[in-house]
Amino acid sequence: MRDKPVRTFWPWLLIGAVLLYAGLLLIAPIAAVIGGAFEDGIEPVLQAIAAPDALVALRLTFVLAISASVINAVLGIIVAWVLVRHRFPGKWFFNALVDLPFVVSPVIVGYVMIVLFGRTGWLQNFPIQLAFSLPGMLVVTVFVSLPFVIREVMPVLASLTQEQEEAAYTLGASFRTTFFRIVFPAIRHGIIYGVVLTLARALGEFGAVAVIGGGVQGVTETATIYIYRSLHDRNDVGAYSMAITLGLVSVGILVVMNWLRRDSHEKGTQHVHPTE
Amino acid sequence: MSILLNNVSKNYGTQNIVRDFSLEIESGELFVLLGPSGSGKSTLLRMIAGLTPLDTGEIYLNERDVTALPPQKRGIGFVFQNYSLFQHMTAAQNIAFGLEIQKVPKPERDARVNELLGLIGMADLGNRMPSQLSGGQQQRVAVARALAQRPEVLLLDEPFGALDVKIRAQLRQNLREIQQQLNVTAILVTHDQDEAFELADRIGVIDGGKLLEVGSPYQLYRKPQHRFTATFLGSVNLLAAQRNGTTIHLGDKQLPAPPQTDHLAGKSVEMMLRPESVEIALAPDNLNGYFLGSGVVESIAFAGALERATIRLPDWEQPVQALLNPDKARELNIRPGDRVYVGVRDFHLLPLN
Repeated sequence: MRDKPVRTFWPWLLIGAVLLYAGLLLIAPIAAVIGGAFEDGIEPVLQAIAAPDALVALRLTFVLAISASVINAVLGIIVAWVLVRHRFPGKWFFNALVDLPFVVSPVIVGYVMIVLFGRTGWLQNFPIQLAFSLPGMLVVTVFVSLPFVIREVMPVLASLTQEQEEAAYTLGASFRTTFFRIVFPAIRHGIIYGVVLTLARALGEFGAVAVIGGGVQGVTETATIYIYRSLHDRNDVGAYSMAITLGLVSVGILVVMNWLRRDSHEKGTQHVHPTE
Repeated sequence: MSILLNNVSKNYGTQNIVRDFSLEIESGELFVLLGPSGSGKSTLLRMIAGLTPLDTGEIYLNERDVTALPPQKRGIGFVFQNYSLFQHMTAAQNIAFGLEIQKVPKPERDARVNELLGLIGMADLGNRMPSQLSGGQQQRVAVARALAQRPEVLLLDEPFGALDVKIRAQLRQNLREIQQQLNVTAILVTHDQDEAFELADRIGVIDGGKLLEVGSPYQLYRKPQHRFTATFLGSVNLLAAQRNGTTIHLGDKQLPAPPQTDHLAGKSVEMMLRPESVEIALAPDNLNGYFLGSGVVESIAFAGALERATIRLPDWEQPVQALLNPDKARELNIRPGDRVYVGVRDFHLLPLN
């Protein structure tokens, strides 16, 4: 029988400290943003969001984030598959390289792109214009959010016994059929989780897109760059309104993520993998 | 014949997993490939299925050379040890998977699935997910799934290895019935000699990647050609002896040579005595078989239906094991330390190598 935990003063102090810390760091900013935005009621907020520049910025952010998520979902699954299922020389190096976007500052990523593809860059004759353009912004967004799908899918793929695929082969299924009907359903929670993280990361990206895109108002200005410019221009309502819009989307993503995590955990416990 | 293997070999690096393996299996036969773990038996089965490529040799299924064909085109059904059911599909969907791949129309498919669910005794469990089924039920679904497309050959890789003893016995019975009913040629890989005896039409004994010998369960148990077979299939007493002409010289005793051992004439041999063929008596006159000598009882152990006596004879290195039925044991009423007379009803000879 387990003893009932004895609650002394110390655990309560610890809980209190944690709540205070989280409150100050996480909740206070959210409260400040909401409070600031609605200082003069909801009208100015709606007006600020409906401003043409704001709408362009929001649309650009979503286009970039969704495109980057789709690209990273497809390529991420392929990379994860290769890293889990195949052996090749230098695999360890490639595997380590995948985490590069986690450790390199996005500003540096944007800068490197300018150096490579800018007017005096090494690859200035590249057929697609990347510097100060939408394709360039997409490339850096893909880069900064690259590891998520790969890192989420790899462990689920590794835990999947290859026997299920082999069983499908002996039943006449091609590789393609086997992947879409057997492997994909088994790793789909990892994929969705990775895509959600990718989306969240891409929505919030600032440094890399600001550097490569140049932040031209109404053209290459994303939602985060819009907030930054609004603060500069003392357009507080604009900044707050955009911040709250992005914030709401992020909270939505967080909710979806937690729901998925719980769902996959429940599913996960059902799996029976008896050993020999 | 249904399955033909010609000089099949497989190496991993410098390690020979399967060595120059040749075998013929008749249509409708249930062939058991029996060997210890690491003997290459599973690799061989995977090569027949096309899941592992072979280095050299040929594989024919019903006179068709399948050596270079992928698993999809071999017309085989495969059952894995760990069931390997598709976890996100119901039992019925698992069974239907191969039929869907073949684009069998839905009504026909459903009929086949129901027929198979009935065959494995799970008619009303088709809607269950694999996680809602017991291990034994999952393995039955795996068998049904492998049989759905009416394969020419059914391959089973230690199919009952992950199950407990009681369920294993039930499933063996079930599998044997299904195999005979459908008259499908089957190879079952196992390290369990009881399983091999119960299921096999013929057994092939494999060790170190080599096929040592093939025969009926009776033949391999009673008249094996290899020491490995003799020791792997049940327990055995082995005594060094010499065969001269038609006489076996065992120490100072002389016994007539058993039939079918003429090829060992003039050679050093080992006498193979199964413990159930060994006789024990309190007086030499009470022995019915050949008299081997007298010795001292070392131990008596309860072994379920029988009792196992271990007797030390002065001239022999190893003590002799004997299995006694309970009536006989009660009648003799021997204890460790008692002196007894040992005889043998029948025995076999193995070449000494």
